[in-house]
Amino acid sequence: MIVFLQSLISGVLIGGVYALVGIGLTLVFGVMRVINFAQGDLLMVGMYLTYFLFKLGGVDPFVSVLIVLPVMFFFGAFLQRVFIERMLGALPQNQILLTIGLGLVLSNTAMMLFTSDYRILSTSYSSGSYKLLGLSVSQPLLVSFLITAAVTGALYWFLLRTETGQAVRATAQDREAAQLMGIDVRRTSMLAFGIGAALAGAAGALVSPTYYIFPQVGSAFTLKAFVVVVLGGMGSVVGATLGGVLIGVSESLAAAYLGSGVKELLVYVLFLVVLLVRPAGLLGKSRV
Amino acid sequence: MPGPVSRLLAALAALVVAAVALPACKKSSGPIRIGIINSVTGPEAPIGELMTNGYLMAQDDLKKEGIDIAIVTEDDTGKPQVAMSGLEKLATRDNVAAIVGPYPSSSSNAAAKLAEKYKLPILIPAASKEEITRQNYQWVFRINAPTNLYSSVVIDLALASGQPKTIAIIAENTDFGTSAAATARLYAPKKGLTIVADEAYSKGSPDYRSMLSQVKAKNPDLVFLVSYVADAILLMRQSREIGLSPQAFLGGGAGFGTPQFAAEKDVSGFMLASTQWTDDSGWPGAKEWGVRYQARFNKEATYHAACAYEALRIMGETVAKAGGDREKTRAGLKGGAWDGIMGKVKFEDYDGYQNQNNHPMLVQQIVDGQFATVWPSQFAAKKAVYPHPGWK
Repeated sequence: MIVFLQSLISGVLIGGVYALVGIGLTLVFGVMRVINFAQGDLLMVGMYLTYFLFKLGGVDPFVSVLIVLPVMFFFGAFLQRVFIERMLGALPQNQILLTIGLGLVLSNTAMMLFTSDYRILSTSYSSGSYKLLGLSVSQPLLVSFLITAAVTGALYWFLLRTETGQAVRATAQDREAAQLMGIDVRRTSMLAFGIGAALAGAAGALVSPTYYIFPQVGSAFTLKAFVVVVLGGMGSVVGATLGGVLIGVSESLAAAYLGSGVKELLVYVLFLVVLLVRPAGLLGKSRV
Repeated sequence: MPGPVSRLLAALAALVVAAVALPACKKSSGPIRIGIINSVTGPEAPIGELMTNGYLMAQDDLKKEGIDIAIVTEDDTGKPQVAMSGLEKLATRDNVAAIVGPYPSSSSNAAAKLAEKYKLPILIPAASKEEITRQNYQWVFRINAPTNLYSSVVIDLALASGQPKTIAIIAENTDFGTSAAATARLYAPKKGLTIVADEAYSKGSPDYRSMLSQVKAKNPDLVFLVSYVADAILLMRQSREIGLSPQAFLGGGAGFGTPQFAAEKDVSGFMLASTQWTDDSGWPGAKEWGVRYQARFNKEATYHAACAYEALRIMGETVAKAGGDREKTRAGLKGGAWDGIMGKVKFEDYDGYQNQNNHPMLVQQIVDGQFATVWPSQFAAKKAVYPHPGWK
């Protein structure tokens, strides 16, 4: 029972990070119908930013989220303005190639600048934990989960309650209709891509105290984010949150009960089963 | 009638001939070349750097002995296929007399096979997979001890220090990890230990907590871990976090013997790790070499650096004596005997091994970020702290 609960907690906590990367991806897809395969590489940029803020400036990784969020937002908006915007009307495969290319440029630039060495960020709480009824809850993971929840909450509020948020949702629902209603869809797209990049960067900052940092770290997260988003339903923010936690928990339980090597396998089997039963994802609306 | 196309073809052919002939012309000029394959970048780079330091010191010491060798380095980025193409380049384009390296077991095993094909002497400095020197190769030599000793030496120490009954094995699912885990699986039951958990993990996961909780639930007396640097730190951090607290954590070399790991004082304390070399083992010149290393690179010397140093020193001397001839170098390695910072070195055939140095493994313990040799007793500088005092 202890093992089950322990795995469940670890799974939910790590799932929060997956959700954060996934939400960024799903938001961009919802607004622009572009699948951003550079999402994981944006996370990597966030990791390096956090690492150097900590090493050179002594900024705590969790505090650095406050710096990483705006920096990555503007970086994302810049990428959207200069590259993605030009491809919005193009064929989907061209858009995919563009984002994959952007990702490759990012990871290889990081490799040239920082070499492919693994870097470990050690804080005083990197291996700390809270004990609760015989269970231990990782300090850094718990804090990062709370920050994830706060960021997600703020995003929900923004999307549901503000006028700009409504514009984003309207654009996601129907780009042309939104444009006819007087919404500046170009500005909205920039905003959405900026938020997507900011969320990926924040996720990078949040995992860096417990994980290691290297230029190719992004690809694993891109794949996971993609699974999270498809599982939850393309374009659905709630779905991505749910998908992230679901993937985190199933990985964790698989590692505990089936063996650590099998956990990836189980995640993809689960993924396929969900798609067989609900082709549009858990909370997705079929668009056909 | 030669048209422009056939003239172009002729020019191309001439170019190809020149390119093929060029390496052969190079051969006579300059000092003898030795090829080194090392993990300069990639996940194994922190250990690759230690080996580079060892190679640099060996090259300088050889120069002092009057042996001038040129080193051609290929980076394997920690991947076997890159190690293979690197070896091919060294064997053909650079025409080296011999090779030292690579570091990881998977790369070494791949490179050894090719070296045998090219009839090029290769000296493996620190890769431990047993099969590397068990395939009847004539051109493959190894200075360090194979993996079976990685597990047996730490298990022996634990049995001599306390009364452990059960053991958990956690190993990375790579060549090195599975091979070390397999030897522990064979050796532990022979010594009366029950294996209560046996986990192979794939590296690069941010979360090992559920695997570790499963291990914790079995309440093992000993936990034997095999990992490279990044995961070594991650696994111990998460063990501390979930409160996995056995009588002793036993580390199978690699990541647990690095200064990066020792520097993580929160989690590295009292770890008992098997190692190929320590500076307080009493081997001739080991202590003095450790001091020189510390002075030059401003960090504590480790077994990877020592293995690399001794391997290149032996190879340099042998190649110089053989005048750069590959066949004579092989004979020189086969017939020679050395006594240096790694103790006595001789490449012998025993227990199914060929050209294997029968090297004794040591156990070192990290206390407050410092390494000390604690086993076997004839080489020990301190007594092991056993059992693990528990997490603070």
